[in-house]
Amino acid sequence: MIETVFLMIFSFGALVGAVAMFFLRHPMRVALALIGTMLSLAAIYAELGLHVIAVFQVLIYVGAVMVFMIYAIMLLDVRDRSFTERFSPLLVAGLAGLLLLLGVLVDGLLRTEPVAAAAVNGDAFRVGAFAIVFMDEFWVYFALAAVLLLVAEIAASAVIDVRRRGGDAADPGKENGRG
Amino acid sequence: MTAMNGMLTLLVLLPLAGFILNGVLGRRLGPVFVNGVGVGLPILAFLTALWAWRTLEAGGGVPIIETVFTWAVIGEHVFEVAFYLDRLSAVMALIVTGVGALIHIYSIGYMRGDEGYARYFAYLNLFLFFMLLLVLGRSLLVLFVGWEGVGLASYLLIGFWFQDVTKARAGRKAFITNRVGDAGFLLGMFLIFTTVGTLEMDRINEAFAGGLIPLGVATAVGILLFIGATGKSAQIPLHVWLPDAMAGPTPVSALIHAATMVTAGVYLVARMSGVYLEAPAASTLIAAIGVLTAFLAATIALVQTDIKKVLAYSTISQLGFMFLALGVGAYGVAVFHLFTHAFFKAALFLGAGSVIHALNGEQDIRRMGGLARRIPWTFGTFAVATAAIAGLPPLAGFFSKDAILWFALASGQGGAAWLWALGSLTALLTALYMFRLLWLVFLGRSRMEPETERHVHESPVTMTAVLVVLAFFSVIAGWFALPHYLEPLLPVPALRFDSALLHWAQIGFAVVLALLGLAAAAWLYQDGGRRGDEAWERFQRLHRMLAGKYFVDELYERTLQRPWRWLSDRIFLRLGDRVLIDGSLHGLAGLARWSAAVFARVQSGSLHWYAWMTLFGLVAVLIWVWRHV
Amino acid sequence: MDNTHLLLAVSGTLFTLGLVGVIVRRNLLVMLMFLELMLNGVLLSLAVFTQLLGVEAGAVLMLLVFTVAAAEIAIAVPILLLLVRAGHTLDPGAYGGLKG
Repeated sequence: MIETVFLMIFSFGALVGAVAMFFLRHPMRVALALIGTMLSLAAIYAELGLHVIAVFQVLIYVGAVMVFMIYAIMLLDVRDRSFTERFSPLLVAGLAGLLLLLGVLVDGLLRTEPVAAAAVNGDAFRVGAFAIVFMDEFWVYFALAAVLLLVAEIAASAVIDVRRRGGDAADPGKENGRG
Repeated sequence: MTAMNGMLTLLVLLPLAGFILNGVLGRRLGPVFVNGVGVGLPILAFLTALWAWRTLEAGGGVPIIETVFTWAVIGEHVFEVAFYLDRLSAVMALIVTGVGALIHIYSIGYMRGDEGYARYFAYLNLFLFFMLLLVLGRSLLVLFVGWEGVGLASYLLIGFWFQDVTKARAGRKAFITNRVGDAGFLLGMFLIFTTVGTLEMDRINEAFAGGLIPLGVATAVGILLFIGATGKSAQIPLHVWLPDAMAGPTPVSALIHAATMVTAGVYLVARMSGVYLEAPAASTLIAAIGVLTAFLAATIALVQTDIKKVLAYSTISQLGFMFLALGVGAYGVAVFHLFTHAFFKAALFLGAGSVIHALNGEQDIRRMGGLARRIPWTFGTFAVATAAIAGLPPLAGFFSKDAILWFALASGQGGAAWLWALGSLTALLTALYMFRLLWLVFLGRSRMEPETERHVHESPVTMTAVLVVLAFFSVIAGWFALPHYLEPLLPVPALRFDSALLHWAQIGFAVVLALLGLAAAAWLYQDGGRRGDEAWERFQRLHRMLAGKYFVDELYERTLQRPWRWLSDRIFLRLGDRVLIDGSLHGLAGLARWSAAVFARVQSGSLHWYAWMTLFGLVAVLIWVWRHV
Repeated sequence: MDNTHLLLAVSGTLFTLGLVGVIVRRNLLVMLMFLELMLNGVLLSLAVFTQLLGVEAGAVLMLLVFTVAAAEIAIAVPILLLLVRAGHTLDPGAYGGLKG
């Protein structure tokens, strides 16, 4: 029972963070709200017994991705129209879409039979079993993902290299091509 | 069956080689080359035909079959391109190549200096090729290829001077009219194939001779094939194209539209005699159509004023005689008349060509006259041929026409008094209009334009020599007993009454008729046709009807052409083509353009818009999934 | 409503909010962060189903999604920096001419 309460608390936290992202003007605050959501989710994962995933969520998302994002925000302290005007011209249409998609999802959720209650404990998921399955069956995919990551890093450094040299001779065509 | 040595294939391919060489190189290499190829190869073909004929006779008349290649194997049916030489096709091949070679020689003089000299000989050789294919083909399929091919060559040569719209139209008319007949021919072929299971003519004849084919089918086949023959051989009701076909060069009229191609229908019926022996109703129809055509065409020929038109109607009339003979079962006699007719009608046409040549293109016999002394060779040969066609003994036409009239009266297979009476009347008319032509063109006083008269000249020797040869054959061709020669192949019908006295009486009567026609023509037309004109004054309505060719063209125009044109214009062009086809295509194009314009807006470059569309698509997919899965 | 439904509802809501956020916010960096929010929403549903069905593959997939997310951000941020250097704005409306 206590687990359900925790789940509800953290779910609420995640939702609050997500909703807050809409209204905060400054990207830095948006980023902080997102971090809050992510941490709530990590807590939910831990609650579900997926401790490994929870750790990765904190390490990779909060530790790497969001820190990188914050660096970018600090680098690009541009106060342009996107800063003064929070919302795009499609605000109304976007909100209509929000209602539409939510309606459909809720409708779908209500259609499904109540499933057997999720076992909110650590029994169903063991790190050891996960590791064995992971290395037995999914190592190829993991290797592929690693290659993807490597390629992304090379690409990123290439892009940065362009930027560095582009500072001397502005060449928008080249940048557009890269973009 | 004698050994196959490629003789027949060579015979067929020689003119084809001439066509290809002249068609491809003739224009560049000049008239000497064109003459060598265009005239030399037909002469070679004639020699080959002679050789083939000797080989056939050496083998005792046993048919020679040469299979060139297998055209198609469909299930158990094998379609071969094979040549078949028996006495009938040998006679035809000799006529085609012999008269053909002579007319090629004549053309050297007639066509000299024409712009399309090489083209002319190429077409003429092409015609010979297809005609030989028609005559020698063993299967109806090969015959049909030749049949269509000669139609094509005829079309090309009628419209040879295609810059002149009326001539081009005449070619088209011939082609289209022939298509009507070809439809009948094709249906007949289909019917034969479904009935007998083969298209090889010797086997078809055997099958029909077996007597197991139902009478209805035999009659239907006979009538359908005869419809094809009426198209090619210009019989009622498809005779309208032949007079217009005179738009072509005169040697073409002589070769294609008098001596050979138009007799293809006669050849077809004779070749399929096995079918017609089993179909008396179809034979009766043929006899009736034949004699009617002969009579009506002869009456029209009486009043024509164009020298070639007179001869054209005369050709139709003579073809009618041939069909009369076919209809009463005297197939050999029909081929006999075909044989003699080829010579004297070629002589007449070439003589007419010589006259036209001498008069620098003048074709109206009202502006001729008195040419006998100016162009004596032409006159002499023309007179001989006229006498031959009129049936004066002992010239060629006398024998063949008398045989036809005798069988029309006495044949046990549909001979009847009315056929004989109408045929005899036609014989009288034939003599009348032919001698009228002779008198108006060559005798009496000159009615030529002074300008034309000054330039009158005898034709070159290549032309007159050919005329002499043809006139010679017009004299002697009747002395060959062709029906007897063909009898093993085409049996002579039994007679209703075997009376030698009656036969002699009939012959005497026919000679009297011919002489009567001669005398009447001499009296009516001796002085430029003044008496003839006075006589026609009394029968003005009849004259108008004959001069208008019974208004058959006008009838077709009104009953067929106009509704068809209306249908084409309103239904097919305006509704079908413009509204349905063009409309739907333009509609499709418009739809594509419109939708492209709509979808082009989608790619606006706005990320937000793309994301919104993603959302919308997601919603749609989810709804669809939950509805259907 | 049991826990599973609750968490799935949260997952769907996070995803929807992320997508709508991409639509309605103007700032490119913020839009990127909403993309991350969408990914997180999906990850939550994966976690729920992993737990529910006891299948390790779901966890593996999550791990891979982490990797992809890291790769994505690693390439997206430099591109963004370049874009801003060229156009001096974070408003995607200014880059409509690219017709991407």
